[in-house]
Amino acid sequence: MTSLRVWTVTQVNRAVRTLLEDTIEGLWITGEIANWTRAQSGHCYFTLKDDRAQLRCAMFKTEAQTLPMDPEDGTTVRAIGGLTLYEARGEYQLVVRRLEAEGAEGLWRQAFERLRLQLEAEGLLAPERKRPLPRFPEAVGVVTSLAGAALADILTVVRRRAPWTRVIVRGARVQGEGSGEEVAEAIRALGASGLVDVMIVGRGGGSLEDLWAFNEEVVARAIAECPVPVISAVGHEVDVTISDLVADFRAPTPSAGAEAAVKDGEGLAEGLVVTRARMSGALRAMTFRRREVLGVRLGQLRRAGAGLIRPRREAVNQSGDRMERAVRKLATRNRARLSELAGKMDVLSPLATLSRGYALPQGADGSILRSVEAFEEGARFSLQVSDGAVPCEVRGES
Amino acid sequence: MTDSGGKDTAQRRDNTAPSLEGRLKRLEEIVRSLEAADLDMESALAVFEEGVEHVRGAEATLRVAELKVQELLGPGEDPMIRPLEENRE
Repeated sequence: MTSLRVWTVTQVNRAVRTLLEDTIEGLWITGEIANWTRAQSGHCYFTLKDDRAQLRCAMFKTEAQTLPMDPEDGTTVRAIGGLTLYEARGEYQLVVRRLEAEGAEGLWRQAFERLRLQLEAEGLLAPERKRPLPRFPEAVGVVTSLAGAALADILTVVRRRAPWTRVIVRGARVQGEGSGEEVAEAIRALGASGLVDVMIVGRGGGSLEDLWAFNEEVVARAIAECPVPVISAVGHEVDVTISDLVADFRAPTPSAGAEAAVKDGEGLAEGLVVTRARMSGALRAMTFRRREVLGVRLGQLRRAGAGLIRPRREAVNQSGDRMERAVRKLATRNRARLSELAGKMDVLSPLATLSRGYALPQGADGSILRSVEAFEEGARFSLQVSDGAVPCEVRGES
Repeated sequence: MTDSGGKDTAQRRDNTAPSLEGRLKRLEEIVRSLEAADLDMESALAVFEEGVEHVRGAEATLRVAELKVQELLGPGEDPMIRPLEENRE
């Protein structure tokens, strides 16, 4: 028997590790996540499993940081990594370099959805939270990369439309590790400066992962807390970012964001010409109206005077007429009555009797002498006959 | 454009002159009240004069042709803002 080679545990594990690492190239593995834990160090540990087997996995800090969120247990993922052996424990594991869920952007979409729901529950996405943009800002704040095309686009638009506006830029990295925090910090700094009336936050287009800063909670909160209205202007190859949802105005590109921020100066100048014309027009109309009113009032006054007199005059005329008519009527009536009475009187008159041959004796006092007693001796009386009176004297006694 | 770079480099708003927004807002009110004709002649004239002043002011603002681009610097820096060097092609 030859002497056996005695291995130390360390030696064995190292040998197996080398064997594993050298013989099996990097591989894609699909499975379900279980027991995901993120350690204090930033490293993440979890298990990939299917129906019948499990595989220990580790994702170290540098790679784990690029994840938009910790995947939930049960999520089906694809992991790319290499097999190795954790010598201290003699356990073999997969060191994951990249993790994707349900398609290339699954984990990002999940993270997006989770944050969206959370912000929605807090009411930060409510339409009534949207503030109106100032119509004519004196100063526009811009948060974007100082080196990017987005800034150049924004400046081009503002320069063309409203060159009297002041633009104050706060540079921030808009992509890569820590960019979300930088963007959020820039928003807070510009907001706190009190220098701007409105803020454009954005960058040019990119993949969902490139735009991730604008899907981060820090940025969402910085926008929500910003003291001035925020225009989210992220170039979109994908549909929407969290920044778009939280911002007061959503523009599809940085240029569109700038257009939303400043009105076209040409229209403004025209508007001013119109305003001036309207003002003088209104004033002219006002003086004209004053003169017209004066004319109308004068006419009214004149008519009112005439109106006051006419009815009175008419009343007077009318009563005159009525009186005349009444008198005339009365006279007519009286005349008729008179002739009627005259007829009657004719019949009754003693004169008519006289004409038939009767005579009427009247005393000196005019009284009618009706009986012999009235004829005293020597008394004078007159005898009325039809055509006059005959003086008489009583002689002798009867 | 001149940046004096003096002590007050924060360049807070110039509060003496009304802003373009303020002028245009006031102009709208003026036109409305003139057109509604709810003013006596004397106030109408006064308001009209004020309106003309705002139109002139606003037009002067619109004549500014040079865009002022500045950079807000980090916390604790003095000055707080400085002109931004653009790489314009």
